[in-house]
Amino acid sequence: MKEGDKNQLVFLAEKLFNNFKTYAPINADERLLIAEITDPLLVNWSGKLPENSWKLLLLPPTEKLFDHSGSQIKETEFKIEPTVFLGVNILDLRALALLDLVFSNDKYYQRRRREILIVGFSNDWPNGYKKLKLFSHNYEEDILEHVPFDIFVAQIKDGKLKFYSGSEKGQKILESYGIKKFDHIEFAGAIPEAGPDKRMTLLMDKVGKSADKRLWQDLGKICLACGKCSSVCPTCYCFDLSDKSDVNNCGRERRWGNCFYNDFSKVAGGHKDLDTVAKKIYFWYVHKFVRIPFGYRVPGCVSCGRCAKACSVGIDITKNISALMKGK
Amino acid sequence: MNNIYAVQPVKVIAINQESIDTVLIRFKFADKKAQTEFAFVPGQFMQIGFPDWGECPISICSSPSDANIFFELAIRDVGQLTHKLNDLKAGDIAYVRGPFGNGFNTDKFIDKELLLIGGGCGLVPLRPLIIDVIAGRIKTKKTQIFYGCLNEDTLLFKKNYADWNREAELGVILDQPTKNWKGEQGLITELIKKRQISKETVTVLVGPPVMYKFVIKELLAKRIKPENIWLSLEKKMYCGVGVCQHCAIGPYYICQDGPVFSWLQLKDISGAI
Repeated sequence: MKEGDKNQLVFLAEKLFNNFKTYAPINADERLLIAEITDPLLVNWSGKLPENSWKLLLLPPTEKLFDHSGSQIKETEFKIEPTVFLGVNILDLRALALLDLVFSNDKYYQRRRREILIVGFSNDWPNGYKKLKLFSHNYEEDILEHVPFDIFVAQIKDGKLKFYSGSEKGQKILESYGIKKFDHIEFAGAIPEAGPDKRMTLLMDKVGKSADKRLWQDLGKICLACGKCSSVCPTCYCFDLSDKSDVNNCGRERRWGNCFYNDFSKVAGGHKDLDTVAKKIYFWYVHKFVRIPFGYRVPGCVSCGRCAKACSVGIDITKNISALMKGK
Repeated sequence: MNNIYAVQPVKVIAINQESIDTVLIRFKFADKKAQTEFAFVPGQFMQIGFPDWGECPISICSSPSDANIFFELAIRDVGQLTHKLNDLKAGDIAYVRGPFGNGFNTDKFIDKELLLIGGGCGLVPLRPLIIDVIAGRIKTKKTQIFYGCLNEDTLLFKKNYADWNREAELGVILDQPTKNWKGEQGLITELIKKRQISKETVTVLVGPPVMYKFVIKELLAKRIKPENIWLSLEKKMYCGVGVCQHCAIGPYYICQDGPVFSWLQLKDISGAI
């Protein structure tokens, strides 16, 4: 990387850090994690995917929706400081595009989301993201047109930086920081102009018709149903609503759900629809590869591979998808 | 921006013990404007609960034609929240969201032979349809109502049977009746086997999943088309708007795409019933 360009990256991080609460991938105990930074020099600019997902900042693991006091029910107030997500990988921008669609009518998500400046980053030309070994959908040449961001920085040949703006807010910020050379890319929605992705559509059919395949029984035998894959997945967004009645903290909360846990489908009387691990895994795959594409016409899996890395027993989504594609 | 999780208070204006474990409660919105603007279609449901107790989905069982005056829910005492709801008294307040779901497309029933099949508390979501058919608001060619229940103690809406029988063919069958029961005995499938049902009949089924498996087999044996078999499903739910995933089956959400589905939509989905 040229010294000048490296300085420009640090300069951008410093500027943003001075104006926003800043979250970025950082090295922590030999792990790459998204965290609030205390020093702009801590940002990891490798372009690699962190272990955890940005969703934890957009949809916190527990979030109060209402405060109850006697019979009074009051919408929980909260303030969001101007925040920046700095160094968001393209695959994570894809996940963000999905969350924006799913939670478009959710007041709590939207209240938080509109205060967050998204700064994407790749250590290649944006279309170089195909090197990330996509298995859930096809590669898109014009990817930046179909993911949401305010600013995108691509570290291209010889470390040279290429800047893009994806919103008016992004343009103004770049200009105010004295970065005048950038291209503007208008967000054209998450669905490609040519229509829903063909590999995604094919997988939708394959997974949808695979309920009787042995794969699920085989996975059911080794999976511990620990739910770690769901926790790290950038597109696992299921939740429970739960009422708290502590003396000083009464109200309705939303908290992360997990389809691997026993209470996920349990109803009064004790019946559970998802009563085997095999059924739970199949339900998880159907959400990613059937339900999301069916409802939103975008991939429900962004090919980040976090689930495979997090799995204690080595369940690898790429191998399972490849088996399903081969009709196994 | 509207808050999709915001609840509205409703007041109990009448309550009646319908069966050994089910109460029929008539509610009115505390806010007059909310009541006059309230509208629903048969088959839709409400989320009802109390602060600190949570919510549960319950099908509306009154007629849409009364929606601007009141709505009724029949609530079976099966868990902690429904137990508390069964304890409500006139004047008490509960909190609701809704209506949710697609409901029945009643246009499909007009000038058709209609068969409504309820199993146990599955009769509850059928009641708005029955009321509107009896009142002539849904004009069918012929209406049959088959209701299967465990015993006399669990029968719902007994007071209405005479009215229903005048305008429709009502068949009630009990699985484990007392010696005093003069009606038919057995499972709901017995009634389907015995009675005359045209193959052009449009059928609506609401009941436990185990009932669906056997009833659908009988209906298909009577050469009723899968697209003319309508079912209402229920599962665990939280959000009511197709996001939280708890009520998902295959590509669908029961809370949003359902609870009413045709058998054509469901027959290839693993675990749908």
